[in-house]
Amino acid sequence: MRKNYYIISDGKLMRDENTIYFENEEGKKPIPINTIYAIYALGSLSITSKAISYLAKEGVCIHFFNRYGFYEGSFYPRESLISGEVVLRQAEHHLEKEKRLYLAKAFVEGSILNMAKVAKKSGEDDTDIISTLQSLYDAKSIAEIMGIEATARNAYYEKFDSILKELKFEKRSRQPPENEVNAMISFGNSLLYSAVLSELYHTQLNPAISYLHEPSERRFSLALDLAEIFKPLIVDRLIFNLVNNRIIQKDDFDREMNGILLNENGKRKFVKAFNERLEKTIKHKDLNRNVSYQRLIRLECYKLIKHFFGVEKYKPFVIWW
Amino acid sequence: MYLIIAYDVNVERVNRVKKFLRKYLHWVQNSVFEGEATQATLEEIKMGLKDIIDENEDMVVIYRFRSAEVFKKEVLGIQKGYCEEVI
Repeated sequence: MRKNYYIISDGKLMRDENTIYFENEEGKKPIPINTIYAIYALGSLSITSKAISYLAKEGVCIHFFNRYGFYEGSFYPRESLISGEVVLRQAEHHLEKEKRLYLAKAFVEGSILNMAKVAKKSGEDDTDIISTLQSLYDAKSIAEIMGIEATARNAYYEKFDSILKELKFEKRSRQPPENEVNAMISFGNSLLYSAVLSELYHTQLNPAISYLHEPSERRFSLALDLAEIFKPLIVDRLIFNLVNNRIIQKDDFDREMNGILLNENGKRKFVKAFNERLEKTIKHKDLNRNVSYQRLIRLECYKLIKHFFGVEKYKPFVIWW
Repeated sequence: MYLIIAYDVNVERVNRVKKFLRKYLHWVQNSVFEGEATQATLEEIKMGLKDIIDENEDMVVIYRFRSAEVFKKEVLGIQKGYCEEVI
């Protein structure tokens, strides 16, 4: 069982014989290569080319974040799972308008249903979120779908202040986040985006061909599409948990660049909880076995591939518990 | 499953065993490794070890647990090697 490693301290990643070492003033920490699934570089990290090539050989992605916790990019090793057929089908579903609309709607539907479920579980009324579904089914363009997504998300965000007992949310603000909750949403979403990208790497899917987001945005936009579905149940629930159990408090943040951001201590707590959540398992009702949240993301990729080949129509993942 | 591997091998081979196990498990102290593994990894480790050791001279003990939760670990003195996911 491979694990995600999150490197928050500053230092150097190197290879010595067949082991990866993380080195800084405190010493040298070996990381067994066969236990690495992906690396999240959150501090300032130097990597030797030897380490890079060894990690590439093992198919390990490295995701880089700047010191404010914003996603910068990924080291996406040479793909070992390549299928021209999948890429062609993926493109076909993008190019044909009806097919693209179907998938874009599916992602937003999943997102809306999960937001409603999370709100309801926290004791809030979810009718205003659910009611956006009708206009979603009637939508005729991607822009319209994006608009509906935004309406649903606003309705959902309005409930945050009554769910959160300690910190205040007020309204969504980005770049820079204006308060603690927004800082956590931004940071959590970028971690999730990387987690989805790691899963995409392990499938034949091309991460640049997307449906809801425009693929021309010079990023792995399929990861953004899939992340929509998982944001409420992975990131938002995590935030409710951290705030309401007073694990993260005001002193875990720093005021920087007119905004508020998690400081090193806060990042450490957040990342730890985020990883625990990815590793947390649930009994999957169709597969009838235990799967982790991280695995759920991979299953979503497999469902897309099945959809492209006409084996089974894609239905977004919706939490049932 | 969770593994604890302790080995007692001839000085000539001790480093090779250490280097080999470093790929799969966490080094705890001299001649002891532990970590999470799957059935397949365990087989890989066993095969690799058999290649390195001299079965007439060396001994390797593999303790296998269903998970890390089924036993309690206590450390006296200094903690030598450890590795967490958040570094």
